[in-house]
Amino acid sequence: MSAPILEIEDLCAEVGGKQIIKDFNLTINEGEVHAIMGPNGAGKSTLSYVLCGKSGYKVTSGSVRFKGKDLLSMSTEERAREGIFLIMQYPVEIPGVPSTTFLKHAVNAVRQHQGLPELDTMEFLKMVREEGRKLGIDNEMLKRPINVGFSGGEKKRMEALEMTILKPSFAILDEADSGLDIDAMKVVADSVNALRDNKRAMLIITHFQRLLNYVEPDYVHIFANGHIVKTGDKHLAVELEQNGYAEYVKEN
Amino acid sequence: MPLLSDKTYLYTELAQEKGVVLPTPKTEAWKYTRLRDLLNTEYQLCPSTDKTGSLPPFEADVIHIGNGWVVGELPRIEGVSLSFITETMEKTQHPFALMNAAYLTQGLKIEISGKLKRPLLLNYFVVPEDKNYFYHFRNQIICHENSSAEIIEQFTYEGAVKSCYFANIVNEIRIEANAKLHHYKYQNEAFKANHIALHKVAISQSGEYESFCLQKGANIARNETEIALNGEGAEAVVNAAYMMNGWATLDTTTNIYHYVPHTKSSQLIKGVIGGTAHGVFQGRIHIAPNAIQTTGTQLHKAILLSDEAEIDVKPELEIFADDVKCSHGAASGELDKEQLFYMRSRGIGEEEAKQILINAYLTDTITQISDERVREWFKILITG
Repeated sequence: MSAPILEIEDLCAEVGGKQIIKDFNLTINEGEVHAIMGPNGAGKSTLSYVLCGKSGYKVTSGSVRFKGKDLLSMSTEERAREGIFLIMQYPVEIPGVPSTTFLKHAVNAVRQHQGLPELDTMEFLKMVREEGRKLGIDNEMLKRPINVGFSGGEKKRMEALEMTILKPSFAILDEADSGLDIDAMKVVADSVNALRDNKRAMLIITHFQRLLNYVEPDYVHIFANGHIVKTGDKHLAVELEQNGYAEYVKEN
Repeated sequence: MPLLSDKTYLYTELAQEKGVVLPTPKTEAWKYTRLRDLLNTEYQLCPSTDKTGSLPPFEADVIHIGNGWVVGELPRIEGVSLSFITETMEKTQHPFALMNAAYLTQGLKIEISGKLKRPLLLNYFVVPEDKNYFYHFRNQIICHENSSAEIIEQFTYEGAVKSCYFANIVNEIRIEANAKLHHYKYQNEAFKANHIALHKVAISQSGEYESFCLQKGANIARNETEIALNGEGAEAVVNAAYMMNGWATLDTTTNIYHYVPHTKSSQLIKGVIGGTAHGVFQGRIHIAPNAIQTTGTQLHKAILLSDEAEIDVKPELEIFADDVKCSHGAASGELDKEQLFYMRSRGIGEEEAKQILINAYLTDTITQISDERVREWFKILITG
């Protein structure tokens, strides 16, 4: 049996004094892909920020263990170095910081944590260009300040590139398909599928079923009123697409 | 009053002796920069030294200035005539420029008549030996018609970082028709030292003055640039960056006078300050009544890294002509939290992430530097 990678127990969290996550429980094992679906405004993104330790997202009770370690006591960067990667709904633009510079800092921070030597510049550039090409990112785009002036699709390709080279053991996709055309969504889905193996796990947070046609989940959970109200397999996503969330939101 | 090298003098008393009125907290042009530490220190006359400061990583013709005295012989440089000055070129009301003239340590006349191939580096260096030395140095830089030159001033020190020494620098710069001067400065004085510099620049027809100043050191430091655009087609770029984490006051003051039509000036000044540091920017653009079709732009931005850090900004536009393009802007704030989170969520440590953002923030103040080696040098100084 595969070991748990993420164990969330009785988690309660608030943003700006308002409770968003309430008695939330979920265990994700190595090799599994879970999808969390829920209506807009239910707090799905809050969950992803809580898992990444963003300031302003306050855990009031409960526990989260990541590969057996207490996740909540780690800083954002420690979580990333331990292997958590969040594909963001709105990747942030950072003027003045070329994409390659950004990627190099990130890769070397993670490598240092793993006790690996820093990559030398040539080695690194070769690897980034190669992986970039597979994702439709050319050298010109790599020289531009990260995400600045990128289209929605370009931003998601860059997220996919970051994920590909950082090789996280646990990826969270937060509304990763919002605003994407089919091609860009396929690129993101392909990079997620390429990373998928029996040691890694994924959590896909989404409003629509669309992305799940490309990244097939083992479990689908419905998130409403701060916690999971129903769990099923991929067929639950199809059912939701047809019937909507109304009956689950009303439940409590 | 002949000064004796083994005696100490209060700067205020030296001023009184020559009838110079030093600024008080009520003096408008100096109201944000508290001079108490500078004026109430007892100084000793700076003796000459043979020691020289380290050199930046690019080829240059170098004049070493140790404790305010030129070290060794003046170099021979093609297209440049170098000599010691005996009198000042222009009259001024600037109190520290008056003091500089009254108690001049040494001064250089730098006449440029050709197109220089290498930068000329004025490598100022202080060996304070625990004493509070003061020195007054002055350059008269004359760029003759059609000449072009790059002059770099570097201010560093050795040892005895607790010294409250005082460097008072004046540059009188004349740029004749079609001449070009690129003027860059790196100020990294000891953390209790004081540094006041005035660059007084007059530009003739189609002359160009392009400058950048990076201030990273000293307790009280002011870099003041006064530019007179006297000929049509004259252009000036005055860019600057300042970084400080201690308690210092770093002041950037500009006064740009457009006296004739078709002149152009631009200013980009950016600062990053933490600790209890204090940033000051005073920028004046003056456009004379007949100076139509002039362009003057000014932008000051600052990032405050701590609650105790403070900035004072005073932009002044004095526009007496119609048909001009003039703008000024000022912004200050903190590092962007979303950008920091994004970087940290990729494994980059908080301090490293902040440093990356600060570097990126300041780097656009040096993009106009056309000499790539010098630009790279400043990039490293900003990063380091």
